[in-house]
Amino acid sequence: MRRTRPLPSILRAAIVSAIAASSVAVSPGAARADDTLSFPVLVPLTGFLSLEGTSQRNGAVLALKQTPAGVAIASEVVDTGTSPEAAVTALERAAGDGKVGAVAASMLGTQLLAMLPLAAEMKLPLVTVSGTASITEQGNPWVFRFFPGDAVTKAAHARYVVEELGKRRPAVIYQTTAYGQSGKQHLDAAFKALGVTPVFEEGVDPAAKDLLPVLSKALAAKPDVLVLHLHSGPTALLLKQAATSGVDLPIVAGSAMHQPSTAALLEPAELKGVCAETAASPISGGSPEIEAFTDSYRTAFGKDPDAFALGQYDGMTMVLEAVKAGARSPEAIRKALSAESFQGLAMTYKSDGKGNMAHSAVIVCYDGTSRVPKLVKRYDDPAIAAK
Amino acid sequence: MAALQLLLNGVALGAAYALVALGFVLVLNATSAVNFAQGDLVMAGGLLAVALAPLIPLPDALPGIVLLPLVLVLMAGLGLLLALAAYLPLRRRPPVSVFISTIAVGIILQNGAAILFGPEPRAAPPLIGDGTLRLGGLAVPEQSLAIVAVAALLIGAQQWLFARTQLGRRLRATAQDPEMARACGVPVTAMILVTFAIAAACAGAAGLLLANRYFVTPTAGGDLILKAYIAVTVGGWGSVPGAVVGALLIALFEVGVSSILSYPAALGALYLTLLAILVLRPQGLFGEAVRRRG
Amino acid sequence: MAERRSDAAASPPRGGGVLAGGALALLAYALLYASPYGLRVLTVAGVYALAAFGFQIVFGLGGALSLAQGAFFGVGAYVTGILGSRYGLGFEATFPLSLLAPLLLALPVGLAVLRLASHYFALATLGIAQVLHLLAVNLPDLTGGANGLAGVPGVVLFGHAVARGLPMAVLVWGLVALGGLVGWLLARGRFGRSLTALRDDPLAAGTLGLDVGRLRLAAFAASALFGGAAGALAVHTQRVVSPEVLEFPVMVSILTIAIVGGRGRMAGAMLGAVLLLHLPEWFRFLERGYLVVYGGALLLTVLVAPDGLTGLIDRAAGRLWGRRPHRLPAASAPPRFPAGGLAVEGLGKSFGGVHAVDGVSLELTPGTITGLIGPNGSGKSTVINLLSGLERPDAGHVVLAGRAVTGARADRLARAGLARSFQAAALPEGAGVLEAVAAARLAFDADARQAEAHARWALDRLGVGDLAAQSCDGLPAALRRRVELARAVVRRPAVLLLDEPAAGLTDGEKAELSTLLRGLTGEGTAILLVEHDMGFLLPLAGRVLCLDRGRVIYDGPAAGVRQDGAVAAAYLGTAVPA
Repeated sequence: MRRTRPLPSILRAAIVSAIAASSVAVSPGAARADDTLSFPVLVPLTGFLSLEGTSQRNGAVLALKQTPAGVAIASEVVDTGTSPEAAVTALERAAGDGKVGAVAASMLGTQLLAMLPLAAEMKLPLVTVSGTASITEQGNPWVFRFFPGDAVTKAAHARYVVEELGKRRPAVIYQTTAYGQSGKQHLDAAFKALGVTPVFEEGVDPAAKDLLPVLSKALAAKPDVLVLHLHSGPTALLLKQAATSGVDLPIVAGSAMHQPSTAALLEPAELKGVCAETAASPISGGSPEIEAFTDSYRTAFGKDPDAFALGQYDGMTMVLEAVKAGARSPEAIRKALSAESFQGLAMTYKSDGKGNMAHSAVIVCYDGTSRVPKLVKRYDDPAIAAK
Repeated sequence: MAALQLLLNGVALGAAYALVALGFVLVLNATSAVNFAQGDLVMAGGLLAVALAPLIPLPDALPGIVLLPLVLVLMAGLGLLLALAAYLPLRRRPPVSVFISTIAVGIILQNGAAILFGPEPRAAPPLIGDGTLRLGGLAVPEQSLAIVAVAALLIGAQQWLFARTQLGRRLRATAQDPEMARACGVPVTAMILVTFAIAAACAGAAGLLLANRYFVTPTAGGDLILKAYIAVTVGGWGSVPGAVVGALLIALFEVGVSSILSYPAALGALYLTLLAILVLRPQGLFGEAVRRRG
Repeated sequence: MAERRSDAAASPPRGGGVLAGGALALLAYALLYASPYGLRVLTVAGVYALAAFGFQIVFGLGGALSLAQGAFFGVGAYVTGILGSRYGLGFEATFPLSLLAPLLLALPVGLAVLRLASHYFALATLGIAQVLHLLAVNLPDLTGGANGLAGVPGVVLFGHAVARGLPMAVLVWGLVALGGLVGWLLARGRFGRSLTALRDDPLAAGTLGLDVGRLRLAAFAASALFGGAAGALAVHTQRVVSPEVLEFPVMVSILTIAIVGGRGRMAGAMLGAVLLLHLPEWFRFLERGYLVVYGGALLLTVLVAPDGLTGLIDRAAGRLWGRRPHRLPAASAPPRFPAGGLAVEGLGKSFGGVHAVDGVSLELTPGTITGLIGPNGSGKSTVINLLSGLERPDAGHVVLAGRAVTGARADRLARAGLARSFQAAALPEGAGVLEAVAAARLAFDADARQAEAHARWALDRLGVGDLAAQSCDGLPAALRRRVELARAVVRRPAVLLLDEPAAGLTDGEKAELSTLLRGLTGEGTAILLVEHDMGFLLPLAGRVLCLDRGRVIYDGPAAGVRQDGAVAAAYLGTAVPA
């Protein structure tokens, strides 16, 4: 079999050159010594979550540039696509590549769920920004989520609608994806805790082109507010269609709205009065540190950062802090992550014992003159109401 | 009134789908090969429009209509490349080889676009204007009218080309029986190249039109090729009017049925209707236009 | 992994040895060199190889473009996922159920859509897959919704956990070897060859006695079993199940693997899976660019090896070591159908209001030749198509060997003792002569070897025994006709319908044909001979019918044809006075 005999050697050559290429890229000049700690970035760069996955990648890569003194650091970015299979393969591959400190792991819930048992076997901490609630409900001590879970963000989402806007008849439009279904479930719970029942709830496929049907049905239910939990493109699509149809109800969208690429699809006027929940909005500023982060992110990647980038950046920075403080093994890093508290750029992170590090969410709103939202409300640990 | 509004939106979407399906069915007729890259060509057309828009030194007023001929020409060139790389070397092979080679081209286009443009959804400029006309209670986006007009124009132009011109007669002869056409002195290879160019240009037009109202991402092609495949099969494998009707049918389900049922239920109903059509009319709604050759 | 090409019996090239060597190299790599990561990629490749086996059977051999293979994969995956994570069932329970569930889905679906042709079949199967995907996403209580179900256990076999890494790779590849062996035996046996005959020409396959519907259903069911097995193993390797297993890309991967590896070849499925699963891994260092390179490599592979990797290896091996002479079985005479005639009464058929055949009655008696003549378009071929079951008559009665068979399907008629030849010899492309003739015995003989022995007998009888080892492609027209005739003669039918067998033959060849036909009648065969050449026909036939515009205008002794005014008028185009 002429074609497959050289297979192993080609494979090995490819792996070796991959390691070489990536370690040169991330830590120039750092010779690979035995004590080099590697921090693989295993995120979706292709497929339907590539937008968010790229933010995750950029946040992690930016954080890993802050090499702590005296420690050699390596990293490699591997695309996990959208299948659990690819994520698990990437993790296995990364684990075989020298001494791994921690892994920046895919924010796609299904992929992370698939990586969890393997990470436990290999004893590798996974640092992610996935919102999917169930990833921290598996009793797995190796997962750390640097983004508020759906229980937190959706509680903030619902409380803003009910408590701040005083609305009692929300119409909920969500995506029939893992992101959408998990969010919808938690929105339901949060509204229920507030004594409010949505007048309309419907799922939309991300491939749906025309959202007028679902919008018309939602309006027919006579809501007093539209609550969205859609991905970036569909959020913009729905807002555009609402503007075209002259809808004047307040709209409170999910975290995808805060992504600068979503706002870029719309005219500022179409955004007037639209609010969104998110963990943070780096482009809205707030502190000199956040502005510095936004600037260096723009310089490095030529685009605006979002909360996923910031969360992953904070997470990897906390990991590096632990390394600075002397943690040299995955186990030591896991201990530090689960015990310490960390003042990140977006918020203060501290594990709740299950790996949930982020407990704050914010509401941002657009004033109709620019694509940069203003922070209007901050919820620290809003989930109590929903429990 | 709401129903009329939905019908309007459905027709606009269906017109765009029809352009996608049209490019697919043209290549199918000329080569009896399934061009699986058609959806990705549409995506490429959309992103091409996005990329070219800032280069046009004109005020924002008329970018789309200025861009359209440019996109058509560039996409036709891409169609030629596609034919040279993925079809001509395999023309004597069973059609399924071309299926795989065009899948490969689709992968290259999709991921090449992701590297060049990033994963963000993008909006192409509108063809004429971004405004919304109010007719009675109807909100008619200018772009919707533009989509229907351009699709009707291109489909009409094609009908004219095929029915009335020497080139069209040669293209049809090639589609019906390449061996016989060659024997009659038709330059079959050139005709196939022209067909690929026209098909890619159709995809480019569809991409430009879709990318304004519905945005475009590098992964948008996969969903479109499925829809084109369904439209062409339901309409009758190889039938051009069938493909247009099939495209409108899909849009009707997406917009009309989903306004009564939920979107997932409408999608399910679409597939169940498809199965019913296939069982009741095994040759598609309009009968088969091309005889299978492989 | 060794496999002899089943559809090119003419002179199989020596790719088998190369493939076996490759299998050993792969095994050595897995056992000695592979990292856990390498083993995982290899395991996943095994999973896809298993799914592709099924696709090779239904599409590669049977020619039915089933886009449900990904759906069967997904159903198997969900059965294992749900039973494993929710109910904690072990592999010995979940694995058989993961095979059973796709099978139970395939049978009713298959019955409903099998009669659809090519792309309509593809779309129908795709529709099924899409509906299943919608259900998986939108029934969160059962399936976990878009998120899927986590916590699927690894393989636990009778209380023993199979660890990831080498044990899992060994289990998967053990099942691949088993599945590949089963698939290979099926492919080279009667079943696989019947499917190939069906793929090459479904109409002709029916007239050879092959039950097209049942064969397709069996192939579809077999593909479901393989798909389900692969899905179950996929879930055990990735430990979660999500709607992604039901998405179109899985189907596209399976299709690509089958074509890149080599259509219809089990070894091709394995080679394709190993190559296509490793290909993206080699370019991982390009970060996002690896898929562009993957696409380019895939395109290059299809261009360089359009017959698949196995085809490439066969060609290379054939060039290096030459072709292995095919061991031909000794000729043996097939059993004869008991003599029986065909009685036709008032046969009628119209197409769109035109009476192609109108009230034709005839009787074929054992041991006689009946001639059927008439100008072009008079309905001769339609009569043969009606009698052989390719068209259904609108009116009339047909009795074959004492049994009423009006409107019976082609394969039923063939199995009741009726054979026909086609005017344009419909020999399968790329097939060997022996194989093409043996295909006519597949519905009757115990195995492919016996069919080949019978085929040799028929070729000898037609005087073309030396063609047995050749390919059908490129045969001169006269020889093609003989091979076509051998496909009818090898059946030793009770009733034989011949559509212009003498067209284009030299006088010498016609004389040989006459001798052959007389020999057949001597054995009691009833022959209907459609012919233009009166000089050839009239000495042979006892009785002759002449058709004009679907009606019988002459029915009498052969000697009277030349004198009949109506016949002469029909041939000369003058209107016959009613």
